[in-house]
Amino acid sequence: MEVSVGDVVMPGDSLKDIKSTKKEGKNERENVILGPGLRREGDKVYVCKAGILKRRDPAVYYVDSYQKRYIPSRGENVVGIVTQKSGDIYKVDVGASEQATLSYLAFEGATKKNRPDLQVGDVIYAKMLVASKDMEPELVCVDSQGKENELGVLSSDGMVFTCSLSLVRKLLNPECPLFRILGRNQAYELAAGMNGRIWIKARSVQETIAAANAILAAEYTVASEMQKLCARIEKTLLLVT
Amino acid sequence: MDSKRLALSKSILEMKFMKRTKDKVEKQQFQEEGEEYFGKHTLHMKEASGKFFMEPSYVFCEELIEGRLSFQGMNPTIEKLMEAKENAKRGQEEVKQEVDVSDEQMAVQWKKMRTKFDVMQRKKTQYKTSRKSQHSKTDCKEEPMEKRPKFLKPVD
Repeated sequence: MEVSVGDVVMPGDSLKDIKSTKKEGKNERENVILGPGLRREGDKVYVCKAGILKRRDPAVYYVDSYQKRYIPSRGENVVGIVTQKSGDIYKVDVGASEQATLSYLAFEGATKKNRPDLQVGDVIYAKMLVASKDMEPELVCVDSQGKENELGVLSSDGMVFTCSLSLVRKLLNPECPLFRILGRNQAYELAAGMNGRIWIKARSVQETIAAANAILAAEYTVASEMQKLCARIEKTLLLVT
Repeated sequence: MDSKRLALSKSILEMKFMKRTKDKVEKQQFQEEGEEYFGKHTLHMKEASGKFFMEPSYVFCEELIEGRLSFQGMNPTIEKLMEAKENAKRGQEEVKQEVDVSDEQMAVQWKKMRTKFDVMQRKKTQYKTSRKSQHSKTDCKEEPMEKRPKFLKPVD
């Protein structure tokens, strides 16, 4: 079946009228970017995920789908748990079909002599460096300048919980106000991985759990209702303490 | 291959002194065959893949923000990073806004100017022609020569 933007799509559907943007200037190349859930077969574009077909300017098409299993893709930040130390690499569970590898040299200031202090069971926030279909994913905890910035080990007094991938995407959308509203009356820090794992830490255990509940409840809350949701969570917190 | 193009016969190429030429001819033939064989395929592939770019990550498609956040001084280093990012973003926007005259306004203004210029030019030419006609009326054959700026040698 032929589908267009905004439709509910199923695997096997093909895209109708793909509008491309013409670049002004040099050569008039028409570029179309196909996001997750779409694949190209010759001149046609087929859907390979069930969801809603979306389009963003300039000519970016993707399928917005509900998903819980993480498929690694390059450049995404994920929350992982170290499961194994072997030789010069760590194995990290990121919730994908396979464990990711993390070189011990991929930390800020790490050398062959000076290894990072990482134990099995530690939670890390890392970036996907290699994510191909047929190979083990590979993580790094530094950027191209060798700086750690926001990556690295997450402290052990936080809490990790899992949610659907679409919830993480919803929360990290620039339009989503939840984190800002929650941060108005609540001190907390969090690391949301694109793999559907969120690490959160607040001042006390109660606050941490409350914030986590707010985040999980946000999956079925529209943006305009989020103010109310946060107020409710804060009220229950006051009752507890 | 072109039948018209002259090709050296095999027996000549077999001769000892023709060894270098033989190599050259063989190389050329090999290349031509390759182009003929693969030419269609590569062209087709280029056409098909030129328009589409695959992007397997949602981060780009939905323009998601960084997932490491901190509020109310829970982690000062992260907050500093967040602020720096915010500032960089705002800086970009300001640069965009700072322009006094937008490109569209400039285009409109420029168009007006152009029409004005054109009108002026036309008037000038009209004036000149009218003057010329006047000259001819007064029967003054010797029209004053247009002064040409001469090259002036700079004084040391």
